[in-house]
Amino acid sequence: MITITINGKEVHLDKQMTVLEAAKTAGIKIPTLCHHDLLKPYGGCRLCVVEVERMPKLQNSCTLIAADGMVIKTESDVISKVRREILELLLINHPLDCPYCDKAGECELQDLVDKYGPTVSRYKEEKRQVPESHADQIFTRHMGRCVVCTRCVRMCENVQGASAISIVGRGNHSRMEPFSPTSFNCEYCGNCLTVCPVGAILSRLYIHSFRPWQVDKEIETICPYCGVGCSLFVQVRDNSIKRVIPRLGKGLNKGLLCSRGRFGYEFIESNERLKNPLIRKNGKLEQGTWDDALHLIANKLTEIKKAHGGKAIAGMASPRCTNEDNYVFQKFMRMACRTNNIDSISRTGFAAAQNYIEDLLGQGVTSNMISGLKVIVIGNAKGLERFKTLAVVPPVFKEADTLELLLTNIYKAKGVRGEKAAVDKMVREMIEKPAGIEIKEMDELVKMLLEGNSISIVLGMDLVQRSDGHRSLFAIAALTYLLEARLFLLSEKPNEQGLIDMGCVPDMLPGGRPLDIGDFKHKFESAWKGSIPEDSGLTLLEMIEGMNNKNIKALYIMGENPAFNLPNGSHIKDALKSLDFLVVQDIFLTETAELADVVLPALGWAEKEGTYTNLERRVQLLKKAMHSSTVMEDWKILADVSSMMGYDMDYASSEKIMEEIAKVSPLYRDLTYKEISSGDCLWPYHGEPLRGELHKVPITAGLTRDYKADLYLSPEKPLFHSGTLSRRSAALRKICPEPALKISAPHAGKLGLKEGDRVEVSTAQGSINVSISIDDSIKDNRVLLGNNFEGRGVYNLLSYKIDAITKAPGIEGCEVKIERKQ
Amino acid sequence: METILLKNIENPNSAEISEYLKTGGYRNLSKALALKPKDIIEETKKAGLRGRGGAGFPTAMKWSFAAADPKFPKYLVCNADEGEPGTFKDRPLLEKNPHLLIEGMAISGYALGAEYGYIYLRGEYPFAKDVLNKAIKQAYEKNYLGDNILGKNIKFHLTVYQGAGAYICGEETALIESLEGRRGQPRSKPPFPVNFGAWNMPTIVNNVETLSNLPYVIQVGGEAYSKIGSKDCTGPKLFCVSGCVEKPGVYELPMGTSLKEIIYNHAGGIKNGKKLKAVFPGGISTPILPADKTDCPMDFISMPRHGSMLGSGAVIVMDESVCMVKVAYRALKFFEHESCGKCTPCREGTDWLRKILERIEHGKGREGDIELLSQVADVIYGRTFCPLGDSAAGLVMSMIKYFKNEIEEHIKNAKCVMSKE
Repeated sequence: MITITINGKEVHLDKQMTVLEAAKTAGIKIPTLCHHDLLKPYGGCRLCVVEVERMPKLQNSCTLIAADGMVIKTESDVISKVRREILELLLINHPLDCPYCDKAGECELQDLVDKYGPTVSRYKEEKRQVPESHADQIFTRHMGRCVVCTRCVRMCENVQGASAISIVGRGNHSRMEPFSPTSFNCEYCGNCLTVCPVGAILSRLYIHSFRPWQVDKEIETICPYCGVGCSLFVQVRDNSIKRVIPRLGKGLNKGLLCSRGRFGYEFIESNERLKNPLIRKNGKLEQGTWDDALHLIANKLTEIKKAHGGKAIAGMASPRCTNEDNYVFQKFMRMACRTNNIDSISRTGFAAAQNYIEDLLGQGVTSNMISGLKVIVIGNAKGLERFKTLAVVPPVFKEADTLELLLTNIYKAKGVRGEKAAVDKMVREMIEKPAGIEIKEMDELVKMLLEGNSISIVLGMDLVQRSDGHRSLFAIAALTYLLEARLFLLSEKPNEQGLIDMGCVPDMLPGGRPLDIGDFKHKFESAWKGSIPEDSGLTLLEMIEGMNNKNIKALYIMGENPAFNLPNGSHIKDALKSLDFLVVQDIFLTETAELADVVLPALGWAEKEGTYTNLERRVQLLKKAMHSSTVMEDWKILADVSSMMGYDMDYASSEKIMEEIAKVSPLYRDLTYKEISSGDCLWPYHGEPLRGELHKVPITAGLTRDYKADLYLSPEKPLFHSGTLSRRSAALRKICPEPALKISAPHAGKLGLKEGDRVEVSTAQGSINVSISIDDSIKDNRVLLGNNFEGRGVYNLLSYKIDAITKAPGIEGCEVKIERKQ
Repeated sequence: METILLKNIENPNSAEISEYLKTGGYRNLSKALALKPKDIIEETKKAGLRGRGGAGFPTAMKWSFAAADPKFPKYLVCNADEGEPGTFKDRPLLEKNPHLLIEGMAISGYALGAEYGYIYLRGEYPFAKDVLNKAIKQAYEKNYLGDNILGKNIKFHLTVYQGAGAYICGEETALIESLEGRRGQPRSKPPFPVNFGAWNMPTIVNNVETLSNLPYVIQVGGEAYSKIGSKDCTGPKLFCVSGCVEKPGVYELPMGTSLKEIIYNHAGGIKNGKKLKAVFPGGISTPILPADKTDCPMDFISMPRHGSMLGSGAVIVMDESVCMVKVAYRALKFFEHESCGKCTPCREGTDWLRKILERIEHGKGREGDIELLSQVADVIYGRTFCPLGDSAAGLVMSMIKYFKNEIEEHIKNAKCVMSKE
């Protein structure tokens, strides 16, 4: 224990820290410009000086380590004089253009000068002139205002790891510049904006459009894009989002954001938003009333249920909708439509992986907090390139073999402990029948893993999208067990975990309760006052087959776009067209909605309240920032239809739904919005996993297919886009306006292609026209294309085979032809 | 006096290993490798060797900190970024006597348990780079460097790294940043490089001249070495004399030789029979001394008592015709240009001082400028991240202290009052 005295107040510290941090714990603020809580001490601005007894001169509190017995003063006449003089120095070249500068009102320099002076400057020479730069689409740079605190550079290099900007010039000519000559060639995370204390870097999204004090409200909420579930603030003025800024120190992101989270909010106010229900009349979608639309749906579904039974109806839930929406959705499907045919797009990755791994290791084992220093990349993980200490490149589409080889090596080195009989048996089989691949980094990889402590395994969903994806999952699960590692499943949508927790899966009720265990079913039946259909339902791709076979007559889709987001788009569209009745609830008229019989406009992120559960299983509150008068919450629409169909659902608010979830789901037991709003609710609480391991571990033999084609097409998960939402966000379209086919330099060379060349990409499924971009992170003969832009998504070009065990689509080995287009 | 550091320097082939071996070269390395590392540190301690870069910190003490750190690997870095204006004392060592440095580094590396050494060479010394690289290659060939030095299973590798021309990289933490491939800016201390230096490992940064003393310490032993020079400040010292003297050049003299003696006895006195006006005794970072204060022993301990510092031993001599405003302006132009930009007082303050001095120099001085100069210098002094800002402020302060009248005249007459020649 270290005890120091600050301004006469005794402060006890339980670990080593700087005087500045110690003062902060005691609630004493010391002014700084170069220090930031997200960054390491720097000691540049010299404003944080303090007096320390028995030390000859003033000390910089940001770099001074607090030692036991120190007596510190943070304010005195001498200190104020020094701060005033340092501020005078900072102002000699800083333009006094506060009336014009967007930062005014939240400028740290302005606040400090207001507090410490000076009121007049002794500086009579000319000010340094640095031209402004407006060359970039997103950021403007006003380097005349820069105080060279280097927060932006340290953020970019040390925290974000992007190293896209640097201080150039020296001394008085120091200024920040991107490495690319004019505009930024960076990740557009905008974390430099968060830390800039002055108006040197500003966002063009809101430039000169408001003053910080003119914000009507600032809402704490969660990012709508991916499963990390970053915590952020939405600032609203006149029912319009002005800006998104991070919540420092909160959530998994702790004050960081990415391009989508920070700049991708514009979709919510897009002109393309659906405002009224649409009903198909004479083959065309026409505007209708809510009353007509809801009655039509209730009647049609009742009719089909009567004629063909609940099994003829299926539902697709949405990992972009809240827990409350999804809870009501599955309840509606089960109780009103009488079917367990409930699944979602998550079956193509997250849900499939989680289901398999939890069957093996028990519930709640995936997704634990990440820590660790060394990063080993197996395969292509572009975002991790800069952090990696070792990269292992498996032969193309042989990831499962590579992981099995790694597993057998680790297994042999570690020895058998005889606890997991099923695992042992299967690993021994693998050792007997090795796949016959060679990985030159294998010895080093095994050594690093065996020597490492606190290993985290982060699994991208590409590996699940193989027709034998479960083999990789088995290897990963077994490695997790043998290495006592922690396992992270990456989730591309904000509420994939929540959707599973809510029971939007064909074989489980809310809280991960298996449908086939009678006791659980009865509990839900008594809570829901009705009977739950017996048979387990169809998974996502089985539903598609069901539609083609005419077994499924009606499909209810909430917030999903399978016509675009599933491989083999034309096949999916045919399946949707063959339905007797298709309902789509969405915020845009998507490719899928265009095929619907009834389209219902729903409220989007920032317009409604609810909860998301992120990939750590952290339940987080989504708050309403703006209002919309003509559309409804997804759960409200569902509850209305349900009541019309004879199964009454009446919730006054989403909070009431959570009250019900908290009663019936063991994972969310007793959770309240109040508790959730703390941001610290991770399940399972105080307890053991709720579902133990199962003993049957389904696995099939490896595929024997050889991959001998010149080029293969695979999906890319780009940084700037997700699809439906991001393509309607103007800023993201500025950062990345066009799809591009990523190709390695050697393969581009072989085809005689240069960066930016237009090509026709053709597979057995069809062809599209895009430009190419050379990507050094690609080490094999794959070419990558994202699934983000209308009409030019990669899934349209891919076909799939279902993995018989995980039910995820296997989309490997798609041969592709690339031809230059003039 | 017999030269130790500049030994054999008149020989046009002195940089060749064959010549170096003829005069007993690398024998001290072989002698040192027979000792225990801690005995070498002990001898160095007895010798009383102090760092020749300017601060005069006891070398053995610095070494013992790094040697005591259990982290491994450790690095030995030779600071050959000789950038202080007026300093050219390391240059003859680098260009004419590279094997002395290499031998010194191999001995030091062994004493410290460092297996890798770097020579951080000033960007403006391309010739020295070629000489060093050739000498290193020869030393590897003769097995004085490598994985198994002299068959004793001792490893020491040496690499020359050339700086990009920044004065600040002579500061050891900025040097380390630059060596790691970053922008040359000082790091916050503590932790010190002896514990967290290059790549966060224990790192010893020693000056070229310091390391070049090592073979002799081993040759004669610490006791005998400590007899050279003055008490508590021992050994031979290189003084590089420039400016208004008859014979500018590098002189190897015992530590503690008087400044007056250096100027008048060794450098041949003031050029053209003029009168001495002032001296920077150890480069422009050391406070200026007027003519009547030059009777002082040049060593790390005596100089502060006489109002200045030994610094790098770069004696810059100015005669009666030199304009002090111009000297101050030129010096501030240098400091402003070389300020790295990390801390506010140095970045903004040196620019401000330079602008004021520029005006005065160009006949646009204003009433109150001297007070303003002194106020701004006061804002900088003692508040900067590293000593660069202090040096700039200190120079202005000492100019005002000794030559206030001359600056006042300059302002009043709106032109230089010194006779133009």
